[in-house]
Amino acid sequence: MEFTREIYWNVGHGFTTLAPMYGLLLVALVFFVLGFLKRIKVYRLGQPLERSDQRGERIKHLLETVLLQTKVFRVPGAGTAHALFFWSFFVLFIGTTLIVVQADFTDLLFNIKFLKGTFYKLFSLTLDLAGLVAMLMLGGLLVRRYLVRPQGLVTKGDDALMHGLLFTILITGFLIEGARMAVTEMDTPLAAWSPVGWGIASLLAGVGEAELRILHTGLWWFHLVLALGFIALIPSTKFRHIVTTSVNAFFTDRGPTGKLTTINLEDENTEKFGASELTDLRWKDIFDADACTLCKRCQDRCPAYTTGKPLSPMQVVNQIGEVAFTARGANLIDTIGRDAIWACTTCFACQEICPASIEHVKKIVEMRRNLVLMEGEFPGEEVMAAMEQTEVNGNPLGMGYASRGDWAEALGVKPLSEDPEVDVLYFVGCYASFDKRNIAVATSLVKLCQAAGVKIGILGKEEKCCGEPMRKMGNEYLYQTLALETVEIIKGYGVKKIVTTCPHCFNTLAKDYRDFDFEVEVLPHPVFLEQLVASGKLKIKAEEFVCTYHDSCYLGRHNDIYDVPRKLIRAAGGRITEMAKCRDQAFCCSAGGGRIMAEEKLGERINIKRVEMAVATGSGQLLANCPFCLTMFEDGVKGANVEEQLRPRDIAEVLAERLASTNS
Amino acid sequence: MNILICIKQVPDMESKFKINGEGTWYDRADLAWRMNEYDEYAVEQAVRLKEQVKDADLTVLCIGPDQVTETMKKALAMGCDRGVHIADPDSAKREPIEIASMIASFAKDKQFDIIFTGMQSQDRGSAQVGVMVAELLGMPAVTTIVGFSYDNGAIQVKRELEGGSKALVTATTPVVLTCQLGLNTPRYPTLPNIMKAKKKELLSLAPDAGGAGPLQETAACFFPAKKGGGLVLEGEIPELADKLIQLLKEKTGVLA
Repeated sequence: MEFTREIYWNVGHGFTTLAPMYGLLLVALVFFVLGFLKRIKVYRLGQPLERSDQRGERIKHLLETVLLQTKVFRVPGAGTAHALFFWSFFVLFIGTTLIVVQADFTDLLFNIKFLKGTFYKLFSLTLDLAGLVAMLMLGGLLVRRYLVRPQGLVTKGDDALMHGLLFTILITGFLIEGARMAVTEMDTPLAAWSPVGWGIASLLAGVGEAELRILHTGLWWFHLVLALGFIALIPSTKFRHIVTTSVNAFFTDRGPTGKLTTINLEDENTEKFGASELTDLRWKDIFDADACTLCKRCQDRCPAYTTGKPLSPMQVVNQIGEVAFTARGANLIDTIGRDAIWACTTCFACQEICPASIEHVKKIVEMRRNLVLMEGEFPGEEVMAAMEQTEVNGNPLGMGYASRGDWAEALGVKPLSEDPEVDVLYFVGCYASFDKRNIAVATSLVKLCQAAGVKIGILGKEEKCCGEPMRKMGNEYLYQTLALETVEIIKGYGVKKIVTTCPHCFNTLAKDYRDFDFEVEVLPHPVFLEQLVASGKLKIKAEEFVCTYHDSCYLGRHNDIYDVPRKLIRAAGGRITEMAKCRDQAFCCSAGGGRIMAEEKLGERINIKRVEMAVATGSGQLLANCPFCLTMFEDGVKGANVEEQLRPRDIAEVLAERLASTNS
Repeated sequence: MNILICIKQVPDMESKFKINGEGTWYDRADLAWRMNEYDEYAVEQAVRLKEQVKDADLTVLCIGPDQVTETMKKALAMGCDRGVHIADPDSAKREPIEIASMIASFAKDKQFDIIFTGMQSQDRGSAQVGVMVAELLGMPAVTTIVGFSYDNGAIQVKRELEGGSKALVTATTPVVLTCQLGLNTPRYPTLPNIMKAKKKELLSLAPDAGGAGPLQETAACFFPAKKGGGLVLEGEIPELADKLIQLLKEKTGVLA
């Protein structure tokens, strides 16, 4: 026998079937297109932004994220279920398309049938199993959403509609198959290739053929209407993410990671800075709101949200959506709330995990820019004081600028103004220049460089804050003032290579300053030291120790530097017991985003929470690579009362202790 | 309403101070400069008053070398309408009566309704200029204000007195007010206002002290001689206790 089936069995393939079917499809498509056109109009309210360059790369990324579900799949459980559901639904979609292609085109016009023989058997089995997997996954997600109810998961009417509609489409699909098989396939070998359909057909065994045919016709049209209804509903319900989230993978920020837009402060026609209204945002920011699936992965990882602060990156994105689509004209900042806007540490955990290519941090910084540049507002007086201190003394700590290089005097490290002939410029940063704890780190780096025979110099009192905390806090004007001065001074000395001990300085000099034609090579100290060790210039005695390692947000997520510091620690004899939240999932220390200047007044202390995670490893030592982290951890061990159990240190300090004697 | 705000540029107090060659004042090298803190309260209060009454013109006045215009720009960015720079490179050497006379000779024919200034400067700290200006112009002066309200020509201020007590004082224009910590929190200038400030009128005038000359002489300026001073012990607690006992034994008689 020929292994195939009659397409349009029972419903007929004449005008009376095709006309209403394609008529309804047309209606659904009109809803689909008009629905999106309406939304595109809203997206276009935003400011321009170029996101269609590097097309090949963008398309490749889109196909990977969508078809392979690479980002969705990263979180087991719901992510796995979604990916499996997507793949099976996608298979069903292709299957249905093949049927349409054969029945209404190739067969109709050219008498070509390809759904037959072995291919048909596989086709039938694949679709049958895909339907089963889709139903199981949908069921699992239903249990999760409505029975397990994970903390923070937002469930709306759309979710019930989606579950109901998809489930009904799948179940009617199987019933149609069952009814057809009960009449046509029950005693044929073909039945085995549709196991689920065969099961349902067996249940219908007692029903007469006439009744089965009536049932089949009714269900067929019902299934069709539901499926077309699904298409029509895509733009106006959360189903839209099928389109928007996929397309957003194309529009994704292709880096450099976390780099903010440099405002043109020379343009005298600009009367407004930052965002307080929808139209101040870029179109992508509005589109992001439509791409969000409320999966809450960002929220689960947000250090502010998980310590009880009024910030959820997911909510911020959705509140922008509300202002765009339902509460047009509302003030963005009032809608989202100042406390939420100020709470962000720009740690990038939200953006890193987001399966929908949403850029949360830029939106928050845009609103901060508005508050600072247009209103002169800050999260607290201490932040305003730090800004003023930076204006006067070039550092947020308020220390006299002229003593910036004092720490290095006794170490024989000179400012470039006295001796510009150096191998490397050490851009010290504010904390390692003035803060006693971090001067110890700077001192360690100097010792390591001296041992390796690398001559380093500093800028001394000519060095100023790189401007990173001010910029992230929204003070673009102060940032640019500092940046331009720093760029000019460094360029003036013809520096070829810079090393930093602060990842914030590193990120700023290496990424943000590129907008000011600053092209000098910048290396964060773990990378710089690892190169010295690898080249044999720096000899470290490996003495065994155990520790845990904290990936700072600005070396980790912002610059993907995870392995080099670990390699360096191992070279020093370290055995790392990782914290549960490490590498790209690392939990912030609380001091990013300019929060180093602010008091943490709301919720639990982030640094204490992080210190407790480090204590839980039982390793006794917490290695860091960032002065902000180190400061917060020194503070955190006191706050958590674990000074005896955990010693925060910088990698450079551990290495300096292990300098091989041949070096000295 | 015509308002004058007198400000001074002072070194940041965190700076590394050194005594100058003549031994009469501090050396200007390696200092970071800013607006005298008390004058910031004066600027802020004037700007708030303008925001309240709308119809007011704020002139900010500063005496000193050209670099003081940087500090004046902040006052203009905060909301002052125009700046008057009395260019005097030797202002640091001037006595309060000379500074007050320069201000008075500028202000005498300008019909200022209110003159706001700081109650003292952070560097010289003589606290005389404000009241001397009032005297020279024949205006009343209320010093060390920590509260200010204006209602249709009637001014009410709160003064801070010794021992934490306060006094309420009413006054009418014209009046000189010297401002104390606690009066307000000075605003952070917004970017559009910083931009606008660059285009505001900034007049430079030669100093005219109207014949007032020095009445006193600084004999010497010096850091107090170190007398003993504190001692900070560092280390682990048991070690600290030992060190302390040893010190008490060696240097004092308390354990004898």
